[in-house]
Amino acid sequence: MNTSKASLTRSPGVPGSAARWLLGKAGGGIFVLWAVATAIFFGIRMIPGDPAQAIMGGPGSQASAEALAAARAQYGLDQPLYVQYFGQLWRLATGDLGTSYSLKIPVSQVLAELLPPTLILAGLGLLVAWVMALVLAVISTRSGPVGSAVASGLEIVSSAVPHFWLASVLIMVFSTALGWLPPVSTSTPAGLVLPVVTLALPLAGFLGQVMRDTMATAQRSAFALSARARGESEIGVLLRHSLRHAALPGIALSGWAFGSLLSGAVVVESIFARPGLGRSLLSAVTARDIPLVTGVALVSAGAYVVIMALSDLGERLADPRIGPS
Amino acid sequence: MTLARPLATRLFPTATALVAALVLAGCTPGTTTSDASGSPVTGGTLVYASGDAEPGCLDPHVGGNYPQALVASQYLETLYTKDAGGKLIPWLAEGSSVSEDGLTRTVKIRSGISFTDGTALDAAAVKANFEHLLVPKTASSTGYLALGKIDSMDAVDASTLELKLKSPDNSLLESFSMPWVAIESPKALKRSQAENCAAPVGTGPFKVESWKKQDSVQLVRNTGYVLPDPSAGHAGTAYLDGITWRFIPEAATRYAALQAGEVQIIDNAQPDTIAAAEKTSTIKHLDAPRPGASNRIELNSSKAPFNDVKVREAFIHAVNINASVDSLFFGTAARSYSPLSSVEPLAYSEDSLFGYDPAKAGELLDAAGWNKRDSAGYRTKDGARLSLTFPVSTSQSIPAEQSLFEQMQATAKDSGIEIKINLLDLSSWYGDLAKNNYNLVSAPYTKVGPSVLAILFHSDSTIPAPSGYFANLSQVKDPSLDALLNTAGATKDEAERKDLYTQAQKKVLEGYYLLPLYNQQNHFLYSSTLKNVGATTAVATPTFFDTWLDH
Repeated sequence: MNTSKASLTRSPGVPGSAARWLLGKAGGGIFVLWAVATAIFFGIRMIPGDPAQAIMGGPGSQASAEALAAARAQYGLDQPLYVQYFGQLWRLATGDLGTSYSLKIPVSQVLAELLPPTLILAGLGLLVAWVMALVLAVISTRSGPVGSAVASGLEIVSSAVPHFWLASVLIMVFSTALGWLPPVSTSTPAGLVLPVVTLALPLAGFLGQVMRDTMATAQRSAFALSARARGESEIGVLLRHSLRHAALPGIALSGWAFGSLLSGAVVVESIFARPGLGRSLLSAVTARDIPLVTGVALVSAGAYVVIMALSDLGERLADPRIGPS
Repeated sequence: MTLARPLATRLFPTATALVAALVLAGCTPGTTTSDASGSPVTGGTLVYASGDAEPGCLDPHVGGNYPQALVASQYLETLYTKDAGGKLIPWLAEGSSVSEDGLTRTVKIRSGISFTDGTALDAAAVKANFEHLLVPKTASSTGYLALGKIDSMDAVDASTLELKLKSPDNSLLESFSMPWVAIESPKALKRSQAENCAAPVGTGPFKVESWKKQDSVQLVRNTGYVLPDPSAGHAGTAYLDGITWRFIPEAATRYAALQAGEVQIIDNAQPDTIAAAEKTSTIKHLDAPRPGASNRIELNSSKAPFNDVKVREAFIHAVNINASVDSLFFGTAARSYSPLSSVEPLAYSEDSLFGYDPAKAGELLDAAGWNKRDSAGYRTKDGARLSLTFPVSTSQSIPAEQSLFEQMQATAKDSGIEIKINLLDLSSWYGDLAKNNYNLVSAPYTKVGPSVLAILFHSDSTIPAPSGYFANLSQVKDPSLDALLNTAGATKDEAERKDLYTQAQKKVLEGYYLLPLYNQQNHFLYSSTLKNVGATTAVATPTFFDTWLDH
């Protein structure tokens, strides 16, 4: 790690290291995508169930010999496994995600339809979690040992709550009992509130714990003392100095957090009947829809790789101590 | 509670309500109430929330499962359907006759009906549909099986379709009443499969406008609707402007959405929710048991210990099903003692065989040589424990049914029988069946008519399809039963058909090959603002031609 003050964006004079950073990220990303594609390809074949039967309508329907054979030939399932594997890799490398067994349309079309709602859900979830965590951290730092203990308790409880339980409770309270919000996703923004809060709350608890500790440390540090000595108000110290410190672990964790939001989306999208990647992953796995499972996993992995790179970049911007490596 | 009314009930509301009550009172609890109050209102969009998996294809020819039938019943219609008494009546067809040898079936097609793309319905259109179902490229399985006996067909003239059969099949018209064999526009069928899956074209009171994956299918009124059958409550077009067909997989969310008024009707209503809803005045209940087989547990007779009829009988007396049905289903399901659904006119029940009697179970097991006990209290024979493997599909067995199986496990233990329940997803469950890795299994089967008995109990059905699937899960192989089923499926004599199917049912019940539980449950809850709900197709999927929204 380079400890000089030359950070990535501030010094365009070091294009070599920036390119190296980008290349490293891209290489790592491609490796992750290959590993995901391979794990899915073999993993889904280890669980029992005939994909040809899945193609034929799955539950409640029985396919004839001719129909099964036709389906196998159409999707190349009659080929040896290694032929299928390399064929699959080649198609993926050339950008062909194949046709969904269960939906009978190109996987790329499914993803194009379902990626935006999931990104909106996860993005808003992350934003709301951040705001909640920061507010909680500021309040608990400002309000002495009792407030800190209460905030800490809240954080631990909310970070431990499972999504499906939280969703059910929120529906029962805000939809069935109070009638304020719809229990299912609707075209209006009101339909987004419960899903976003369900996703954000556990994450906010987790981020809040990390941020509060860092903020408390920063409040006690020498630079905070000197700022106070310069006549800075307590709020000013908090907002201008400590907050930046508290944000650092939050940014570092955001990549991980986004990943957890994507997995949380599987539960949240199903409960609130929201269209999205998570819900389609669930139904695709149930239906043994290999192309769709692969497509969703690759897109999620891709999004994760991008977010990790962004959070790395964000960390560099917020913390001048970290330079390009 | 409202009971399902097949199509023809809509003609004479009072008379048929009475008939329906008489016919159905024996099989379903509660009484028939009419919700058709006030005068019909035209307009408004009904929001239907389905708990089933979203179909991959809206054309029920492709694959062919119940979720497809539910939605397709709104825009596709069938050649035949059922009236209130469960009697088969022609719908898109005008009538039908069969030759003396039973090998030629002539179907007369109605004239003056058009598909929503303007194509006229005629014999050639029906022929194109059957060809679509039979060609492997379509990947039909349910419809394909239903038409399996057809050898060749010929559209003799615009209104006459002649079918040559491989062997006589007296269930063909019943098969024609199922949405998996519904009639679509031949012009639309010529499109690519992806296009036809996205928006099949039929003759129904609604048509498919758009489909937003994982969210909803938008159906709009068919403004050119000509009701082919004179049995509806009104003439002309549907009252509703359209139907938004949503997919809400979570049972609790679905019910919350109904309570919040986001949706007006939900399917797959669970027993506890139905019980809660029946205490309110704003939510109503439609009970529409599916035709075909009853929900039952099959006892795998192909291997030990159930290759011994004494052990099968002992098992049936060792489990207390009635107590579980009462406590877990809150009165929403009535106990069945038949292999067939109670909506099947030829269903035969024999309740005396299925009493809970642990003492008798013990005697039978002692006599069968399972007379020692191991340290855990289970019976043993030659050192082996009396243990039964029970793979359960979590997508086919609702939570209440899974609880019933657990209670069964507990009562069987008292008689020294171990039941190992494996909760599995559908593909893994099919995998276990294909490997013959089960002693007990519960599998639904929806079909119109008693011919489902041949699918479930004929020895031909023990031969697995290439995928490993077979329908005769109790694995009965009895030449005399096969002979009964063969003759029952071919005879032209209605009385003989009834007699033979009754004998066949007696045989499987008295052989203790199955433990009937209840009808295949099919419950709907709907808002009291929704009026005149209750008409269903022959497979008990609701239709909404006569339904209106009271604003």
